[in-house]
Amino acid sequence: MSHGLYLEGVDFSYDASHILAGIDLSIPAGQFVTLLGASGSGKSTLLRLIAGLQFPQRGRLAWDGKPITGPGLDRGVVFQDYALFPWLSVVDNIAIAIGKARPETRKAERRAEAAEYLKKVGLEAAIGKFPFELSGGMRQRAAIARALALGSPLLLMDEPFGALDPVNRARLQDLVLEIWEAASPRKTIVFVTHDVDEALYLGDRVVILGSTPGRVIADLPVEFPRHRDRRALFNSDAFHELRESIAETLAADTLRQLIAA
Amino acid sequence: MSETLALETREVSVTPAPHVASEPASGAFANGVVRLLEASLIWIVLLGGWFLAAEYAPLGDNPLIPHPLVTARALWESLPELWVGTLSSFSILIPGFLLATALGIVSGLSIGTSPRLQRALFPFARVAAPVPPTVYIPYAIAVLPTFKLSAIFVVFIGAFWPIFQNAAAGAHALEERYRDNARILGLSGFEYHWRVVFPAALPHIFSGMAVGLGFSFILLTVAELFGANAGLGRFVQYYADFADYPKMVAGILYTGLVTFLAMTGLEKIKRRALFWQR
Repeated sequence: MSHGLYLEGVDFSYDASHILAGIDLSIPAGQFVTLLGASGSGKSTLLRLIAGLQFPQRGRLAWDGKPITGPGLDRGVVFQDYALFPWLSVVDNIAIAIGKARPETRKAERRAEAAEYLKKVGLEAAIGKFPFELSGGMRQRAAIARALALGSPLLLMDEPFGALDPVNRARLQDLVLEIWEAASPRKTIVFVTHDVDEALYLGDRVVILGSTPGRVIADLPVEFPRHRDRRALFNSDAFHELRESIAETLAADTLRQLIAA
Repeated sequence: MSETLALETREVSVTPAPHVASEPASGAFANGVVRLLEASLIWIVLLGGWFLAAEYAPLGDNPLIPHPLVTARALWESLPELWVGTLSSFSILIPGFLLATALGIVSGLSIGTSPRLQRALFPFARVAAPVPPTVYIPYAIAVLPTFKLSAIFVVFIGAFWPIFQNAAAGAHALEERYRDNARILGLSGFEYHWRVVFPAALPHIFSGMAVGLGFSFILLTVAELFGANAGLGRFVQYYADFADYPKMVAGILYTGLVTFLAMTGLEKIKRRALFWQR
């Protein structure tokens, strides 16, 4: 448990409902893990627990050997909804993160560095703009730039592309892979999604959560070689097989719920 | 009033009426004329009514409803005096209102984000806020050394509570995603309040300021009725003592105009400050 993310017996309830039951998970540093589940499986809640925004009733969470006791700059988050501050320009939204991560930097340096991150996500034209002037895809690019600017070795992404059209979604998936594959050492990423294709295209490993209460029902390695080619991958038999078996797992869980109810 | 007018124009620009598109220029022009008529109708009716009443009603030598033209002349002649009165009134209004804004925002935001401060101070605020600030006027005049200071104090009290309450409500209603965001970035203390809570609460704060500014004018003019030797409220009271109704009405109209301009100015500032809201 010294390196990477470690969860043991994590239990979480909210009011009377049992959201997560006995989650055990161990993710080595540098791995890209996708958390797949239907709505109500508690996958976003699990991410919030790792982020330190909420606390479990039982169980232990640790990142890099240290127990998680609250939010920290060692864990960056990209939220589902566009969570940039609308009253700050795009560059200032990122500069504020740099200011927290590296307080010794000066304002001009922060802006210059923020511009670098914006260039990295293909937003150099939007530097002085405000969030309301950007499309959904552009805002999500800015949110990614902000998470990168924090310099956190662990990135938590909560259905970041859920609200985007398919073209933008594919572009941003490629952007995330490109950034992740280029970095050394690689960041650890926990990426929440309900889209099977997205989970398989991005992840080294897919962790599937079942519903009510949320618990791990499958944990599968995704062994397609990296620098994946979207079209070739989606047309391969191996991909179809894995996709089918995941669909069956999810369907079986839905059936179990129906019988229980 | 300016608020609803603005809303109306926004609606017009967003929803294109299909028949306007088919007959472009002349249709738009006719539409504009109709709109202008609609907006000015109430003024035409009121002015006409006033004119007719003054002209034809048997009101005597020194009518309680002075003729519009007589009133207009009285207004013109009083302009220098009214200007001096305006300066005197604003030297009370501005410090009182600005102090109320500054303290209302700081205390409102602090209390809105701290449950402990809420528990400690809301019981007091709940009792103190509804007290009509006018009842403080005689006591303030008795306690404070000059009339100006006591008037500033009363204006402050009147403007403070609505700004405070709205700032507290705005801070309290901070959206969870902004709070999460701030926590993820590690923003806390002053930085959290200044860069997250304050801008997020600004729409509420401006509502409070608009109410507070309205109260400020009420309290200002009422305070001036008590003991001022200059000012807008004082002007009206002074000529009432001489039964000079044309000057009285002129003073009322002028005060109304000044109040309207001040509210419009605040509305302009609000729009500029809240440009990031779509």
